[in-house]
Amino acid sequence: MVSDSIANVSIPVASSNPRDFGKKKRANRAAKLKQCKLDARREQWLSQGKNKGSKQELNGGGEACEQGMQVTNEKGQLMEKLAIKPRGEAEENGGYTNTYSDFDSPSNSPTSHTSSVLEGNYSGTNFTGGSSSSSSSSSGGCYSVSMSEEDNEGDDDCLDDWEAVADALAATDKEQEQHNSSLDSPPEVHMSFQLEVSDGKVPAMDTSQQNPKGRGTIPGFPVSFRAWRPDDEFRPQSLPNLSKQYTFPMNSERHYRGGSVWGCKSAAIPTSCPICCEDLDFTDTSFLPCPCGFRLCLFCHKKILEEDGRCPACRKQYKHDTVGGETTKDAGGLMFQVARSCSMISRS
Amino acid sequence: MQASRARLFKEYKEVQREKTADPDIQLVCDDSNIFKWTALVKGPSETPYDGGVFQLAFSVPEQYPLQPPQVRFLTKIFHPNVHFKTGEICLDILKNAWSPAWTLQSVCRAIIALMAHPEADSPLNCDSGNLLRSGDIRGYQSMARMYTRLAAMPKKG
Repeated sequence: MVSDSIANVSIPVASSNPRDFGKKKRANRAAKLKQCKLDARREQWLSQGKNKGSKQELNGGGEACEQGMQVTNEKGQLMEKLAIKPRGEAEENGGYTNTYSDFDSPSNSPTSHTSSVLEGNYSGTNFTGGSSSSSSSSSGGCYSVSMSEEDNEGDDDCLDDWEAVADALAATDKEQEQHNSSLDSPPEVHMSFQLEVSDGKVPAMDTSQQNPKGRGTIPGFPVSFRAWRPDDEFRPQSLPNLSKQYTFPMNSERHYRGGSVWGCKSAAIPTSCPICCEDLDFTDTSFLPCPCGFRLCLFCHKKILEEDGRCPACRKQYKHDTVGGETTKDAGGLMFQVARSCSMISRS
Repeated sequence: MQASRARLFKEYKEVQREKTADPDIQLVCDDSNIFKWTALVKGPSETPYDGGVFQLAFSVPEQYPLQPPQVRFLTKIFHPNVHFKTGEICLDILKNAWSPAWTLQSVCRAIIALMAHPEADSPLNCDSGNLLRSGDIRGYQSMARMYTRLAAMPKKG
């Protein structure tokens, strides 16, 4: 959809812009020439208007799409971030099948009881320290079968932590769920695995790993099933910064609490002041001078106060108590309480 | 001053990007001075200005957007709120009702709206205003139509 609109838009723009620029350069700055140019443009425009009514409609449609795109620019960025996540998820699923196929062989082997414990440890090292293990071809194709077997084993005698992980893994078909949990759970998972590794069972696992019997395939996927830690060196570059992701929901929650049309708009375009077009810093974005939700930078707000002191969006006078809210701008929640109470007052 | 430049530059980019967004408005920035703009607006349909293209001259103050831009018609137009000789426009949002949230594009839209809905009680063009106030809609329309044909439509041949 987004790429479609880009394609639609880029065609008319690309076709019209260079022509106009070229014209501009050729027509010098003398006023007469400019007037001629404008006249020509007007006539051309008129004739175009007659001929290409349909084309203009097309262009208009494209522009509308583009506008929508621009308004939801921020949202789009978030969507990109989210869209990256499932990709990571897919990779994780790749690792997932690998390990399951790995589990398959020992569980079929006669020494399944002991090896299951070992497997718990083995997979544990695979998650944390296993990044060093060389990747190798995985015998795939036994995904569904091995999954059930693995579940049985997990119920049997594995460690509690491993059970938890297995349960979490069984839920991977619901990608969204997993995405949510992957934000929350990774620290625990990592902790548990590190504990297991420190149990000292790793060497035993290593010997079994070298055992050529059933262990031809080692899942070499160097990452954990869950999200990467921010400082993880194996974390893909394509993943967004966690800090950014955490700040966005915070902001959106705030904007929604602002709860007005302008608040929503500025939730979509919170990056620059609509008056002076300078970037909004954190202080500015948490500054809500008017109950209508129109945001602007402190600098412009001060200049407006020096003139007529009316909100640019709703034309109401900026009130003193909202100016008082300015002093509590650092504590975002507090300021919003102020803003909300103001809106209550204005309603009543 | 910096703020006005930044703001105008952003509006310029916006206009370049959505050149076809509003088919009734063409905003052109002066090649050498970002504080001088020219706009071409189409007369709204179902008015005597239908089919005409009217040229507007914008002069943007340094305090923009805290101060409104100065706009006047370069094309002759017979309209109660437009001075017939100077092209000065009597429009509240260009005076005391200005808001910094408005843009040059939105000013153009407001002027198109003013063309469709003349306000005869604050006339700059007394002849036009008197025609409307006396209820001679037909007289007003035919005069406006004539001047549209004379001044705002391409010459034939």
